[in-house]
Amino acid sequence: MILELARLFVVAMVALTVVRLVVAVYARSVERERLEKAWDAGGIPGTREAFVRAGMEAYRKSLRRKLLWLVYILPMAVVLGTAYVANTQ
Amino acid sequence: MWRYAKWTVWAVAAAIVAAFLHYVLPQNDVVRITNTYNRLTPIGDNAIFYGSPDAGSTLSSRAAAGAAGTETRDIRFIETIYPNGEVMIFRNEDTGWFWPPYFKWDSANLQAEATNAVSTAAAPEWYSVTHYGWRSVVFSIYPNAVSITRVDGPDARVFPWASVIILSLLAFVAFMIRRMWLQFRERMVDPALASVGDAYDRADARADAARGRLSRWLGTWRRPPPR
Repeated sequence: MILELARLFVVAMVALTVVRLVVAVYARSVERERLEKAWDAGGIPGTREAFVRAGMEAYRKSLRRKLLWLVYILPMAVVLGTAYVANTQ
Repeated sequence: MWRYAKWTVWAVAAAIVAAFLHYVLPQNDVVRITNTYNRLTPIGDNAIFYGSPDAGSTLSSRAAAGAAGTETRDIRFIETIYPNGEVMIFRNEDTGWFWPPYFKWDSANLQAEATNAVSTAAAPEWYSVTHYGWRSVVFSIYPNAVSITRVDGPDARVFPWASVIILSLLAFVAFMIRRMWLQFRERMVDPALASVGDAYDRADARADAARGRLSRWLGTWRRPPPR
């Protein structure tokens, strides 16, 4: 029982870490594209590189990026919720 | 020719996915419970259609049945009958922590509920049995009951909320994977191909190649500034 739980935990952690990395790369890429398009639309002073760099720096501290931790939290909540519902009448 | 081969591969893949989902997703059957019992059950080649050996609450004695690779388990069963008179036998096994992810450990409780729910044809009580899996007499496999709920009558319909939610999530995941792949191709693969093409076109291709594949690939992370 405990061993099985530990095994599930390890496997889930490895899998979710991979998911978290892939989603993080994707989210960063989308953010960079959004910034580049915003600059290309015109009307923004400074160079394109500086604007994108500042934007990415702001993104690094944003709430949106912290929401990536939901990749770990939501599946665990689903597992606990399912276990609760499945084992109560 | 190749088109048919491609379509065949896709059709087989789709059939496998559909069969897998049909096996694993929960379904609700409205039945009358007629009997409950446990029985020593030999398990051999059909082991993947039973709970994992260490899922608990089952007496498992490997090689007790003699033949190598078989075991005998004491498994709880629930005998039921559909409104149209056909019968269905559910097994009632823990799924444990892993697969399929029902996280069910309350087989003993469920068996007690099912025993309490037994009714006769003269005074029928109808129950919705939530279960996953298939019944096959050839392979001696049984769907696994997960829970039972009293319903009004034999015509009651139970909306499959769980399946709808799970399928929606899967569709969302598939959609996001496609989005990610398209983003990856647009931002990394296409620029990389373009830059490789440019490099070979240029006269200083050799010098460029000397710069190293890695740094060139790194350079493709940034879209070139607009001309």
